[in-house]
Amino acid sequence: MQQIRTDAHIRQVSRTVRNIRHTPMIPLWAIIGGTAIVALIGAYPYYGTDAYVLSLLGKFLCYAIFALSIDLIWGFTGILSLGQAVYFGIGAYVIALSLKMNYTLTHATRYGHKIPDFMEWNGLTEVPHFMTPLMNKPFAVVCALAVPTLLAFLFGAITFKRHIYGVYCAVITLAEALILQDFIIEYQAYTGGFNGITDYSNYSGKWFLWFILAVTVAFFIIARVLTHSRVGTVLKSVRDNELRAEFMGYNVANYRIFVFCVSAFMAATAGAMYAAWVGLVSFLDTGPVYSIEAVIWTAVGGRGTVVGPFVGAFLVKGAEFFLSGTLAEWWQIIVGGLFIAVVLIMPDGIVGSLAKWARHRRRAISREVLEDSEPNVEACQLDWDAGATPKVQEKTR
Amino acid sequence: MVMQSIITQLLNGFSVVAILVIAALGLAIIFGVAGVINMAHGELIMVGAYTAAVVGKAGGNTFIAMPVAFIVVGLLGLAIERGIIQWIYDRPLETLLATWGVGIILQTVIKLIFGPELYYVGAPKILRGGFHLIGRLPFPWYRLFLIVVAACLMALVFVVIFKTNLGLKVRAVRRNRAISGCLGIDTARVDMLIFCFGSGLAGVAGAVLAPIKSVSTTMGFPYAVDSYMVLVLGGVGNLWGVVAGSGLIGEAETILSFIFNNVIGRLLVFLFIVVIIRIVPRGIFGYSERQ
Amino acid sequence: MAALLEVKGLTTKASGFTILNNLDFSVDENEIRVLLGPNGAGKTTLICMITGQYKPSAGTIRFAGQDITGWAPDDIFLAGIGRKFQVPNIYETLSVYENVMVCLRSRREVFATLFHRLSGEDKDRIWEILTLIELADKAQYPANALAHGERQWLELGMLVASNPKLLLLDEPTTGMTEDDKHKSVELIRKIGQAHTVLLVEHDMHIVRQIARTVTVLHQGQKLAEGPLGEVMENSMVREVYLGKGKGH
Repeated sequence: MQQIRTDAHIRQVSRTVRNIRHTPMIPLWAIIGGTAIVALIGAYPYYGTDAYVLSLLGKFLCYAIFALSIDLIWGFTGILSLGQAVYFGIGAYVIALSLKMNYTLTHATRYGHKIPDFMEWNGLTEVPHFMTPLMNKPFAVVCALAVPTLLAFLFGAITFKRHIYGVYCAVITLAEALILQDFIIEYQAYTGGFNGITDYSNYSGKWFLWFILAVTVAFFIIARVLTHSRVGTVLKSVRDNELRAEFMGYNVANYRIFVFCVSAFMAATAGAMYAAWVGLVSFLDTGPVYSIEAVIWTAVGGRGTVVGPFVGAFLVKGAEFFLSGTLAEWWQIIVGGLFIAVVLIMPDGIVGSLAKWARHRRRAISREVLEDSEPNVEACQLDWDAGATPKVQEKTR
Repeated sequence: MVMQSIITQLLNGFSVVAILVIAALGLAIIFGVAGVINMAHGELIMVGAYTAAVVGKAGGNTFIAMPVAFIVVGLLGLAIERGIIQWIYDRPLETLLATWGVGIILQTVIKLIFGPELYYVGAPKILRGGFHLIGRLPFPWYRLFLIVVAACLMALVFVVIFKTNLGLKVRAVRRNRAISGCLGIDTARVDMLIFCFGSGLAGVAGAVLAPIKSVSTTMGFPYAVDSYMVLVLGGVGNLWGVVAGSGLIGEAETILSFIFNNVIGRLLVFLFIVVIIRIVPRGIFGYSERQ
Repeated sequence: MAALLEVKGLTTKASGFTILNNLDFSVDENEIRVLLGPNGAGKTTLICMITGQYKPSAGTIRFAGQDITGWAPDDIFLAGIGRKFQVPNIYETLSVYENVMVCLRSRREVFATLFHRLSGEDKDRIWEILTLIELADKAQYPANALAHGERQWLELGMLVASNPKLLLLDEPTTGMTEDDKHKSVELIRKIGQAHTVLLVEHDMHIVRQIARTVTVLHQGQKLAEGPLGEVMENSMVREVYLGKGKGH
């Protein structure tokens, strides 16, 4: 029990106390770096002329939010959902439907009906009654965000309450996405089927880009605060050791449901903005392939970090847009290789690996300091007096 | 008349069940025993189907294609295991990502080799046509063949797992990997053989399923998802779970699809599965830990 | 005075085996009770029952005047029972500091936690505990960087942080070196000054240092109970437990 309290040890303790006391919620480098990136993207309409790049920027931001939503549940809470695109897709379809119906009020179809063209092709002569409320844009926005969140709540309440997650959750969510996709294809009179919904007036100006950017920033700040607050610690503790968390009085299922809903809300927002920005949604945006693709963005960037999804989405999607044109088929092989490489070589992702490296460096330095210092001889003397063998090495192990 | 159509649906259901069993068996081995979440399962089936297409071009038929596909896809599985899976057995959820990558690569490579067009594989001559059950109900021979194949494959897997030395080791490893390793079982070798065997079964599934479906690079994925649903419902790591899961899903889907339509049928089956595993979270025949 | 924990007629059956058989058992407030018994006597099962991990087949468990039979683990915790597992059960990737922080006594609901901020008092309490378990210098380390003994102490510290009325310690010294065990004994004694402790332990050296009252379980039933010295003299106890080469 005799403890050698070397000066170095005491210094170490006080340094640790200081470090923990003064760790800010959002570190300075993140504020500076974040502002720079936001300025870079936000100012594009002023220094760039390429409309294609502009549209890509908005798209990528939506992808980044989508990846962040996966990171929240997978990276921070350990729930792997392979059907996150369901929430993205519902958000996107609701907005697209609303915009399309509004568009057709002023742009009649070839046969003079004021209904979306895909409805006309399928023999409808007027918009079905259950869809008419969506003509009201604010209501559509509320729907686009609330319906997925509610769905996520139901899903969570059904599965997490019974301790279903891990592989089971992954498989069920995967099937969920596949079924929604089938649904959209089958009921093409209401959803546009294979062709998706296109040809409506979308928002593509700089104002909407700034709006997307603002939402992105807000979500990243929310994610950072959420994951570094007490709730975040609880979520991580649930991920690490569910049993312990339960025996510490946390209702694990409720925390999972909560974060799942937040995540679905983010995904839905991303989907809604995507539909409004791009002017095209298809059944692929709700499918399992898209869901898993987004998982890989998160993995490449670094799951369990807030910046990771952003980096991952921009890098992978960016590479796709640059390379898939010239390499076509080979791009798919690169993506496949990326999946394997991330798992085998860099399971922490880019940002995660960097963070780990920085942490190791910091710890190595503090350990050096500890080892260099002389043990406090007086303390040793005391322990001799107490009749015990001093173990000077022990604390510096 | 109503009676007759119900019987037809039930019988059709049997062949759907057989298809599910055939497709899910390989996965049951890989996922249930080796613990690998093999997302490339559908692509392994697809490669098996392409093998059957090649064998068909060369003048062979399904009977020849089955062993050939077993060997080809088994070797492919071996390569995947040695190259990738062997490093990540301890991270199951990440095997999912890696094998998804493998799946994408397989799809692309096959597309580069065979082109994007669909292939059609004919059923062997003696299995063409059908016979009449009860009155004028037609029942194709090939469906009967599928049921026989499903039963034979089940029997084969049972023999391998319960009657061979390898099977004994497999069961030991499944129950307690660490102890098995300490007792001199080469767990890495067992894992390798199991992955290889499971892949081979997926290949056979592809060869058998090729005549009832046009062969394309994307044909496998729905099978993979269905197989997972079978395992989740039936219980992982128990072969009876495969039968139970396939039986319930196959019949329910056929009948519900008949009453409503395909999509509603699938949706209802999905909800049904969710409800069941809410009641028994580890599946019907799931391995229950000490309670 | 009513007992803090009172177990009556507790019976557990699992796959045909009766693990606990009509067990009556109680712990008073502010005592350190040691639970002894050979392997398979049902010690860990009893702990699992009390903490709600398994549901009993029959019998009642009363704690601080409430019937907690069949409650969920998190509710039982909120009632005031904390549990230390046999193997260290900590949050591996969280830092030592966060490990303790998560366990601090506070409201556990999602939205209460969402808007919760650590007060200065809370922080002082965390450091106090970290000092108690002598991990203050490693507060920023991820828990998986700790040695085995340190992990056990961390879990003890986490329990203390949650300030339970009753602490269930299931063989907290498993796999420790002699030095570490010694330190654990000190720690448990210190904890015992402010908490009621129920300790499951095999190591008689440790039992001797800690125990005042012991309860011996055998085949799911209470065999003997009383001061350590008395129980040690009990012939039945010697036969079933100490007689089997465990006689220290």
